[in-house]
Amino acid sequence: MSHSLSVTHQTPMKMGLAIPNSKLCMWLFLGTEIMFFTAFIGSYLVLRLGSPGWPSDVRDTHINVRLGGINTFVLILSSYLVVVAHESMIKTDFKKAWKSMLAVLVLGFVFLGIKGVEYYGKFSHDILPGHIAENDSQAVAKLIRESTQARDAMAADLIPGTETIAQKISQIRNKGTSASDAETAFVKFDDDLQLFRTAARREELKLFSEGHTLSESITRYLSRWREDIAVSGYFLVHDPHPIVFGNVFASIYFIMTGFHAIHVIVGMILWVFPILKGRKLDASYTDWVENSGLYWHFVDLVWIFLFPLIYIVQFGPGPVV
Amino acid sequence: MSAHTHGGDHSGLYRIVFGALCIFTGLSWAADELPKDLFPGMTLAIVVLGVATLKALAVMLFFMHLKFERAWKYVLLGPTVILAIGLPLALLPDIGVHYYDMDVPQDPIRANAYEALDRVSAHTPSSH
Repeated sequence: MSHSLSVTHQTPMKMGLAIPNSKLCMWLFLGTEIMFFTAFIGSYLVLRLGSPGWPSDVRDTHINVRLGGINTFVLILSSYLVVVAHESMIKTDFKKAWKSMLAVLVLGFVFLGIKGVEYYGKFSHDILPGHIAENDSQAVAKLIRESTQARDAMAADLIPGTETIAQKISQIRNKGTSASDAETAFVKFDDDLQLFRTAARREELKLFSEGHTLSESITRYLSRWREDIAVSGYFLVHDPHPIVFGNVFASIYFIMTGFHAIHVIVGMILWVFPILKGRKLDASYTDWVENSGLYWHFVDLVWIFLFPLIYIVQFGPGPVV
Repeated sequence: MSAHTHGGDHSGLYRIVFGALCIFTGLSWAADELPKDLFPGMTLAIVVLGVATLKALAVMLFFMHLKFERAWKYVLLGPTVILAIGLPLALLPDIGVHYYDMDVPQDPIRANAYEALDRVSAHTPSSH
């Protein structure tokens, strides 16, 4: 059978997807975001299941389920307002759409504010990756290191100048009876610190008396210098409880919630543009609202999984005793 | 041209979905507040993660409109979901369900072994 050269086979052409390019683009981007977040969530699951232990005591992790629950409700409400905004844009009720978007932006700030409170709790207890002591000797070393930093900061303030810290300390100690109250307090603090350092070097410093309770010597040391007016401003010494597997917990916690918070901020920036339009908001922004809404719903989706995984679920072999 | 033909007003549906999401969130919260002997670890995990999945489906199908979209959603999301599940599965045998002895200093049994080893080597005179 011969094929005539004048007949060319043409594949029937079809129209592309019946959605705007911007919507397709946003969905493609959300596909990459799915992989982005499941990388972290998947890593968290794997690390937690595979670890011989995990900090589960709330006194150690400072995880606040109530705040997490409130944040979940905040994002769900904002997702609902997003669909209200989109429906309003379609019905050309731009005033209602604008108010809904403003409410979404405000709820975004509420979410970040609550997250800020949670992060402050972590920072103030030094629950940061690489900062957490995981056994008694690390906890003692950290206590002494932070006390030494406090002492050095106080010496630097008492004797301004370019001398080394060691020179400043000996200057203060040599003042004798002419020392001010602050300088006298400094000398006592330095003496206390030296006693601790010697005891730690000799492995005589006991961290715990029993269970989770700090020993009397350490409790006394901490309360004395936290209450002393002259020293307390410098005494940024954290509670020295070791948290076994605390560093991997802190690392994965900040990675997951930090990236989520960054995505919330990006979403809020997307909402600012139609909000700034004010009374001039018109149908040309309908696609923008729909696509920003898709992004915002995705941010909500991620939090829907983060909340139970970080705040509620206690899987794995449990705390190392 | 933007395809905003929803085929009707979905406002009522969205209100119902929002209500359902609030109820599901409340269920998760309540499950966590209940005493742990009533709701042991594995049961709690299954319940709250199941609830989270239902919430996620509600948001995806209704708020993100996927229920009303056409087959392109499978083409687009299928590969990403496969890759997303694939990563933890790939890591599980080595890190999640490790088939070898875990050698971490935090493990108290091993930590004691290391300390014992340090004490022995500290008191043993060097042979060379």
